[in-house]
Amino acid sequence: MSTQTPAPADERRGTLRGAVDGIRSVELTTSQKLMVFVLSMSLFGLSNIILEIIPDPSIGPVDISVSYMVFVPLTIAALFSPFWAALGAPLGEIVFTDLLMGDFSGLAEIEGYLQMFLAVFIAGSLIRNPRSKGQIAVGSIVLVLVDKILSAIVDLSKVWIGVEDAEFVEGLPQSMLALETLGLGVDVVMSGVLLGAIPAVWLIPALHGKIEPLMGMRPRVAGEPIPGQAQASGVFVGFAVLLSIVSFGFAFLEAFDISAGAFEPDFLDMFGDWFILVSIVAIVVVLGLAILLFRLSRTSKSTADRS
Amino acid sequence: MPTVPPTTHPTAQQAAPQQATAQRATLRDTASQDPAPQEAAVQDTPAAQAAAPVIRVKDLSFRYPGTDRDTLRNVDLTIERGDFVAVVGGNGSAKTTLCKTFNGLVPHYWSGDFAGSVHVGGIDTWESSVAELSARVGYVYQDFQNQLVRPTVRDEVAFGPLNFGHADYRERTDEALAQLGIEHLRDQFVWQLSGGQAHLVALAAVLALRPEVIVVDEPVAELDPARAGEIYRRLRDLNEREGLTVITIEHHADFIAQFAKSVVLMADGAPVWHLPIQEAMDRHADLSSHGVPAPDAVALTAAVGAPHVALDVDSAVRILRPALREQQVPGSEPVPAAAGAGNDGQVPGPDPATPASGMVDTGPEAGETVADTAPPAVVASLRGVHHGYRTVAGGLSTVLDGLDLDLHAGEKVALVGTNGAGKTTLMKLLTGLIVPRAGTVTVDGIDTRSRSAARLADHVSYIYQHPQQMFLKDSVREDIALFPRGRRVEDAEAIVDRVVAEAGLSALAERDGRSLSGGQQRRATLGIGLAMRPRLLLLDEPTSSLDIRSRDDVTTMLESLSGTVQCAVVATHDMELVATWATRVLVLDRGRVLADVTPQELFSRPELTTQTRLVPPQAARIGLELGLDPLPLTAEDLRARLRTIDGTVESARADHLSRTDGLGATGFDTTGTGER
Amino acid sequence: MARKTHDVLSVDWVRLELLRTAYSTRGGLFSRMDPRMVLAWYLVMAIAPWFTHSTGVLLVLFVLGAASVVLARVGPLVLGLFLIGLLGNVVGLFAASFLFGGDLGTLVALGELNLKLGAVSMASMAAFVSLDPEKLSDALLWFRAPELLAFGVSYGYRMLPILVDEYVTVFEGQRLRHAPVEKPGFLGLRVVWQWCVLAVTAFYPIMLNTAKNVRTTVEALETRGFTYGAKNEAGRTLRLAYLRVSALDVTVVVVTVLLVAAAFLVGPGVPVIG
Repeated sequence: MSTQTPAPADERRGTLRGAVDGIRSVELTTSQKLMVFVLSMSLFGLSNIILEIIPDPSIGPVDISVSYMVFVPLTIAALFSPFWAALGAPLGEIVFTDLLMGDFSGLAEIEGYLQMFLAVFIAGSLIRNPRSKGQIAVGSIVLVLVDKILSAIVDLSKVWIGVEDAEFVEGLPQSMLALETLGLGVDVVMSGVLLGAIPAVWLIPALHGKIEPLMGMRPRVAGEPIPGQAQASGVFVGFAVLLSIVSFGFAFLEAFDISAGAFEPDFLDMFGDWFILVSIVAIVVVLGLAILLFRLSRTSKSTADRS
Repeated sequence: MPTVPPTTHPTAQQAAPQQATAQRATLRDTASQDPAPQEAAVQDTPAAQAAAPVIRVKDLSFRYPGTDRDTLRNVDLTIERGDFVAVVGGNGSAKTTLCKTFNGLVPHYWSGDFAGSVHVGGIDTWESSVAELSARVGYVYQDFQNQLVRPTVRDEVAFGPLNFGHADYRERTDEALAQLGIEHLRDQFVWQLSGGQAHLVALAAVLALRPEVIVVDEPVAELDPARAGEIYRRLRDLNEREGLTVITIEHHADFIAQFAKSVVLMADGAPVWHLPIQEAMDRHADLSSHGVPAPDAVALTAAVGAPHVALDVDSAVRILRPALREQQVPGSEPVPAAAGAGNDGQVPGPDPATPASGMVDTGPEAGETVADTAPPAVVASLRGVHHGYRTVAGGLSTVLDGLDLDLHAGEKVALVGTNGAGKTTLMKLLTGLIVPRAGTVTVDGIDTRSRSAARLADHVSYIYQHPQQMFLKDSVREDIALFPRGRRVEDAEAIVDRVVAEAGLSALAERDGRSLSGGQQRRATLGIGLAMRPRLLLLDEPTSSLDIRSRDDVTTMLESLSGTVQCAVVATHDMELVATWATRVLVLDRGRVLADVTPQELFSRPELTTQTRLVPPQAARIGLELGLDPLPLTAEDLRARLRTIDGTVESARADHLSRTDGLGATGFDTTGTGER
Repeated sequence: MARKTHDVLSVDWVRLELLRTAYSTRGGLFSRMDPRMVLAWYLVMAIAPWFTHSTGVLLVLFVLGAASVVLARVGPLVLGLFLIGLLGNVVGLFAASFLFGGDLGTLVALGELNLKLGAVSMASMAAFVSLDPEKLSDALLWFRAPELLAFGVSYGYRMLPILVDEYVTVFEGQRLRHAPVEKPGFLGLRVVWQWCVLAVTAFYPIMLNTAKNVRTTVEALETRGFTYGAKNEAGRTLRLAYLRVSALDVTVVVVTVLLVAAAFLVGPGVPVIG
């Protein structure tokens, strides 16, 4: 046991080890990534549960309910890291509502995950200054647009292929198209503006500078490079396009499943079962490419940091 | 050291380990003047002769990124294998940061400027990793609930060993559960656990990695004292039986005195000293000046000039008995100033005819026996109230069972009882957040069934246990103003200004509540409640998880409530608060009022406190052992009955005053939480 | 208007239902099975309906799905939400195509699609309601799902009750401290609007509080070797060593496959319109 002698003057006695503070990397540490991921997952999951148990009002055929609280993942993407927020948010939705409520829809979940991931990632990366109301508003609407347009296309194709002789059912295709368009409009207003832009424009600046220290992180400053941000580079565009194709791939795989029993024998003769196989192979190839591209972009980024 | 006689007091703890031997007469006066090296102390602990030290810190400094001063500064510290160390110090003294250097979280997880070295079991932490160090140093967090990451207890405990790929993870899990005696919790879901159980599970999860050192960060913060005592006894077992080195961060000196073998006093990012427990307690003035006031046993035995202060109730009783003054005529007793406010107008002079007998289950009339005038107005009443909750399994668990109760104007009611006794349910019934399944609840003349909770909020306000749940806006002022502005109260702004000043938060009013220190947060939530200008104010555990100093601030603020609020009800485990503040104590047990008494009666009846797992304040326990009548409730009361060395009520009293006076003055920690 | 304690359709009921669902406290057939086999069973039941357009077959599969929901003892909340969703979908789409000049034929076509979706949904309800988070997370790990996903599942379920409680508490505070709406307005729309505003603004404190909690959690994960374990195979092998396929598992899956096959044989003969 000892009693400490007061330090002579204000001098550090020990030798400094490792790097001196000041060299700050844009990259988040592993633990910070994990924190952003877990936060995004928990909060978006919570918001989904709340929406799930609120009855959905619908006026006639148009469901005017809110599909999700856009401002939740957008806030985390804007304040911390678009990439990790985007990874966590759709998982939160799957875990908290889909798995828990037994609403798991198999392959469509993967499709939903990829769509939501892209939407949050792109929208979050658009917000360069967390205090800019314009950027935030644009971000929320883009988020809904990206997600909803992708899923509308998927939905339309599903019904088109899925329902036997869809074109012979009077009025169905037209009504589907009209409904999807109307639905998209409603979604942009309800999810994108009412529960997107309006809360986000208030919430993001309010939390900026407050929430980061609670997690032991430094608030983002406008103009600084954003950790885990989508790069407007060829690599990223290719990556995004590939991901959307994969998401379609899953959807179409399902669509082909739907229609497998419906194919006329001559149709099957013409294309054979390989049609389904081909789509599976395509997905695998495209997914592999995407992962490869992604790895590539990350290593190039980190080497850029090091140099 | 004299030996400790067998204990007779029902709530007495085991005798503290007599670690420090051969103490030379270290008078506290000399000690407080001279914090110079005391080499004598270094050699004579048994631990020092054992194996190599388990933790050796040398010239350690650490600075978090983006701050302009070192959080830890030139720390030299040696912790022997098998020691039970209490790390104490005020807010912002970097206790937690220091302990996080032991398992490598600093510098591997929280990076920053790291100078000097920390060796754990011979390994340089800088060269090692969190994973490797975690197997040697286990860490139980203050907010341990968030440390539990898996759904079931068994899986939670096995999580660490599985991650590290220990093939014997089952044995380790069973062993850890057995060590803490919680095998029966094995298949429970984590969210079903009570606070005390959850803490034990967090501890078991850490033990399953078979560490050499275990760090426990403020167990008392989130647990009631009885449960915290339980945790400490388990820790002592581990320390004594398994030879585990235990390090606790602690504000409550009574636990330190009872359980620790040595004490590290931290101030401004460096240890002031590290001494064996007896010597550390003899220097209670040092502790007190760093925000860790001495426990009553220590303060009182020091006041009578004992060469070595007593560490627990029993030894204090032995030392104090000869120093007792003759029993005085009770009426002539001086009322100590600091405790005066709490005792005003009730506790009539102890009349031998109405001592601490009866009054069990006397129901609504009980309150009137303490008031000597006409019965005051009834603020709230419950008639035949039954309430229960649906359980996950689908059954109905009864929480309140046929409750009849009246709360009167001018009363300061403490609601005590074990967890699950129905305290929170009773409070929620009074707020109108829930309505009873049977019976009626009337608040301010309004049947709670006839009004929505939001409208009842004009009459009654409820302050949650966790302040962060009440900070809805982005600044303290906005939070306080929310209610009066929303209801368009006239002169709302004036009310807000007054409340902010009363809470002593003028300088901090524009900050977010979460960025304040624990005590400031509580005062802010009290302010929120006061700005609602209720007739009835309900508070859930207003002093839990506070260090002593902040707790006294809150108590002082509670004293001043009487001006605005007609009746205040506090649900609490904090018996010091009951002793100094309450005029009426309702003891709840299994949904019924077990007793409706004054604090004095409560603490005079050991059978009652034992049954409901309450731990009376040390002074009251000492007083009871000494057979004093009337029972002293605070150290000041008791001191007045003693022949102190200087014959006056000096330092301890002065300490107390300096802690409690001048709310809002500069004495407060205005620097924020300082927790890092 | 006297208030009273409601045992169903109250906030507390929803909370309890969520817990019962999440932790499959109701028991049921599938909760006794090996999680991997439950997933396999789910695959059979979820994929089969996509391979037919025969309303008869779909009807039989739908009945199978309903039977499994009963066997799995799915709770009323989840079931209720499912039924509302299904009916809403049918009615909505029918009304829409009627608007665009459809007729009863449309309804039949839609009925087919909804039978299909319903059968799949019921299978997923039965499967996932019966899997407690630990088992599900272990099964995912066994199928080589990313560690982060397996962890997310188990952590999500663990946090769920806490998050919901925290939200309910904050929302209560919001309600108590904001002035109630003086006039409810048309159809009580003002009240609904206020509740919506409060529900959204409650996220400000919730986000801050959760951020604070997450920090401890992630730190604790680190000290307990989470990132270490993710990189090392040994932990995974140990964790999954307990998974055993029992006779019950095999029986259930075989019976299901037989029943589904039977459905495809018998189905076309089932008399239905269209």
